[in-house]
Amino acid sequence: MQTTENKGLLIFFYFCITVFSAICLVPFILAVSGSLSTEARIAAEGYSFWPRGFTFETYEFLFGSKAQQILRAYSMSVIVTMLGTVSAVLVTTAYAYVISVKSFRLKNFFAFFAYFTMLFSGGTLPWYILCTKYYHLDDTLLGLFLPYVLSVFLMFLMANYFRSIPHEIVESAQIDGAGHLRIFFSIMIPLGRVGLVTISLFYALQFWNDFYLPLMLVTDQNLYTIQYLMYNMMANIQFLASGNAAQVGGAIIAPPLETAKMAMTCLTVLPIAILYPFLQRFFVKGIIVGSVKG
Amino acid sequence: MNKKKGWLSLLLAAVFLVSGCSQGNNESAASSSGSGNEGTSSVTDNGSNDGSTLAPAKLKIVLYGDESNRMKELAKTEFYDVIKKEINAEVEFQFLPWTEYGGGKTDLMLSTGEDFATYTDANYMVKSVAKGLYADLTPYASTAADLSKNVDEASFKAFQLEGKQYAIPVGNKPNSAEFYSALVRQDLLEEAGMTQVTSLKELEQFYDKVHAIHPELIGYANTDARRILQYDYTDKNLYWQNDFIALDESVKDDKIISWFETEEFKSYANLMRGWYEKGIIPKYAATNVPQLQSDWNSGKAMFWAGTAARPFEGAATISQAVPEAKLVNYFLGSGRPKISRGTYSTAFFVSTAAKDPERYVMFFNLLQKNQELYDLFAYGIKGTDYTLDENGRLTRINTDSLIPDWLLMNKNFIRFDNTVPDEFIAEYKAWDDGAIISKGAGFNFDNTPVKNEETKLNGVFTEYLAPIGSGFSDYDTAFPKALDRLKAAGIDKYIAEYQKQFSEWYAKQQ
Repeated sequence: MQTTENKGLLIFFYFCITVFSAICLVPFILAVSGSLSTEARIAAEGYSFWPRGFTFETYEFLFGSKAQQILRAYSMSVIVTMLGTVSAVLVTTAYAYVISVKSFRLKNFFAFFAYFTMLFSGGTLPWYILCTKYYHLDDTLLGLFLPYVLSVFLMFLMANYFRSIPHEIVESAQIDGAGHLRIFFSIMIPLGRVGLVTISLFYALQFWNDFYLPLMLVTDQNLYTIQYLMYNMMANIQFLASGNAAQVGGAIIAPPLETAKMAMTCLTVLPIAILYPFLQRFFVKGIIVGSVKG
Repeated sequence: MNKKKGWLSLLLAAVFLVSGCSQGNNESAASSSGSGNEGTSSVTDNGSNDGSTLAPAKLKIVLYGDESNRMKELAKTEFYDVIKKEINAEVEFQFLPWTEYGGGKTDLMLSTGEDFATYTDANYMVKSVAKGLYADLTPYASTAADLSKNVDEASFKAFQLEGKQYAIPVGNKPNSAEFYSALVRQDLLEEAGMTQVTSLKELEQFYDKVHAIHPELIGYANTDARRILQYDYTDKNLYWQNDFIALDESVKDDKIISWFETEEFKSYANLMRGWYEKGIIPKYAATNVPQLQSDWNSGKAMFWAGTAARPFEGAATISQAVPEAKLVNYFLGSGRPKISRGTYSTAFFVSTAAKDPERYVMFFNLLQKNQELYDLFAYGIKGTDYTLDENGRLTRINTDSLIPDWLLMNKNFIRFDNTVPDEFIAEYKAWDDGAIISKGAGFNFDNTPVKNEETKLNGVFTEYLAPIGSGFSDYDTAFPKALDRLKAAGIDKYIAEYQKQFSEWYAKQQ
């Protein structure tokens, strides 16, 4: 009885999830097919699941006219993602270790200290002043990742993960004369590998997708990331198409090609889309392991 | 366990769906009001300064849009050198996305006391001056002597509050009767065996005939034709302050009109309903407005709302798709003077924190100083970026945009390319002849007392009134409900407040 009910439910779940994934997939398919269509037919007939008038012209055009800019932004994104992820993971695990050490008296204070920022934040303006006037992060490479190196949520995730490692292992290491540095690097990090991969993934994704930091802190075009380049392009198109431009002078500028927008989308999504399926198992495992003990 | 997992994943999926479908990007598109007025500006002519006598200064000019490669090069070379020579200042150009215009990062930069200048409209000016973020430029207006020779006096007035100059207007282009004419594809008109369009009847005839030949073309590439059609549904000469409020320019009084509550709106909505049913406005317009613009750009529409410059600005775009395209402006009636908001393109303000506001004003002056500098900033270097033929017609070698030309556009300096016929240039330059400046020009509404009402009204406008005005929904069935919503949102209070402020301001002008 129960098994048939379960089976029915399972089928129901699978059905819902399949529909959901299909819905998620639609825009991607449209983007890919749009980027491979000819401009004239997109304008005339709209998007379709199959490229209209299959062609690589758009990509040739993009790499022809903006190749340098795209490549530079691409490599900037890669650099920021790598530097950002490494430093963020270091800072996050270190903080997580500190508040997970049982004998540390101030661990609750530090946990609350971090938690507090999840509930209350100073707001954009003070944040902007702090970053530009005090830390001088504007127009620097540091500015593209430093403000994001500690995500409190991921830090707690990691701390929970560390707490799930049997305390006896730590104790025996201490008896053998290991200090905190040694315990952290030789025991916690290797044992916390799954958690580490998880938060690295989260961070990498965040740094790759971010356009807010460059928008706020960067004016030098050499520091543009691919997402910001994209954002910039889209923002300008939307503004001009919305007719607000009339307010500031009735500028008539032909919006960039539809297909070009789609090609840019594919270019930004591509690396993540390729990488994701391979790393996904860490993702799921990491969240579940970290959340069991709390 | 399986069940739990299943429900959990369903929940997650639902959350993702909901968050994926929501859009948190509702920038309220405030419509611009305000502009020049008859009056004098306090500008004296003291000749140009020699840069070498000035102390060095650093200026930051923020522009919106994409920075082209050529602009980047020139900003470091020729622009830099020329500006240094003229006013002994090092200028840095910073480009921001258009989303940051009049808010966003611009707000942050103003609030954190950065030293910069950029352009503004009257609405943003009123808001920012109230917060003390714009420098008062009145003492330096005389520095812009060359500019004020080339920019209309009334434009200066549009950026004054309480007698103080908070922004320096640039640009001088014929822009009366913006969107009051129908910009018609003359090539299609002739193909249909017609020569001109002088009335609504002829415009519809034009559509019918062309539709018979080219059923794939759409008629009107916009959803708003209240200005074009005013010659049919009213005897007044209406000029809109924003979506809700119009002025009748044919009478000299301070009465404002609540547009949606008029009989004129009813007639207009019925005309538009007819257009929509007939297919002059395509069915997809109700859900996909941007498509209208791209249809127009790719030559798949018959007419559009016209401005003085659109026949050549628009032709440049369309001719890529339809090389033989020709555009002509037609008014559907006559005998009413064209109304102008002032001839400026935009205006530059300087942040309060600027160390040397006067130098900024000197820089604005350079933008409209003489033909030589105008050519440099708008077109680049002669021989490298553009060439001129014996008639002074322009051929651009490099099409990268420099300092945006819509911003600089000044009828005293503008150059046309070979494709623009002489008679058109003459027509363009005479476009403003006989035009009047709107009686509301220079009035800036302070929306603080009715801020909530305004937000609600904008919502009602988008949801109920815009579709009625575009003919997507029927006036008789949809309007009563829309009116209820308007009343509930506080239209009466809003109109009363506007009337109060406008009357006070109007009395002062007399």
